Amino acid sequence: MFRTIYRHAKKHPGLIPQFIFLFVGLSGASLYLIRLARGPHVSWDRRNNPEPWNRLDPTYQYKLVAINTDYERLKKEGPDF
Amino acid sequence: MAEDIQQKLEKYRTAPFDSRFPNQNQTKNCWQNYLDFYRCQKSLDAKGVDTAPCDWYKRVYKSLCPISWIENWDSQREDGTFPGKI
Repeated sequence: MFRTIYRHAKKHPGLIPQFIFLFVGLSGASLYLIRLARGPHVSWDRRNNPEPWNRLDPTYQYKLVAINTDYERLKKEGPDF
Repeated sequence: MAEDIQQKLEKYRTAPFDSRFPNQNQTKNCWQNYLDFYRCQKSLDAKGVDTAPCDWYKRVYKSLCPISWIENWDSQREDGTFPGKI
């Protein structure tokens, strides 16, 4: 497949931007999908690890870019049991 | 420990920011606090300790959850069909 892309790009160099955009888009989408799948908000293993979001400390940063939240000073609110 | 829970309960205004649920969708926050309240009660009852600290979770879920959901879950708990693990 990559050889076909290479041959087409040599014949019609105007196609190169399209390949670049295609590559960037596909890789970005799949990387974000992987990030979502590995996140602590999803529980894959219900027997051994049912609620992964409860196992992290309160200063764990969930968002990709934290603009307003001061993550250093957060603490657990409720009592332990 | 119990004293500052009491202080926190007295100064309670609304559910504080929970970093586990940073986005607009707070349904999981509601569900988690509901579960935590009953788990806390069950666990402190089993230890024989006063369950007053668990009231923090109760205040939080009462702030967050729609009343119809709470009533639905309460009746499910009584029937034994509650889907969560307490």
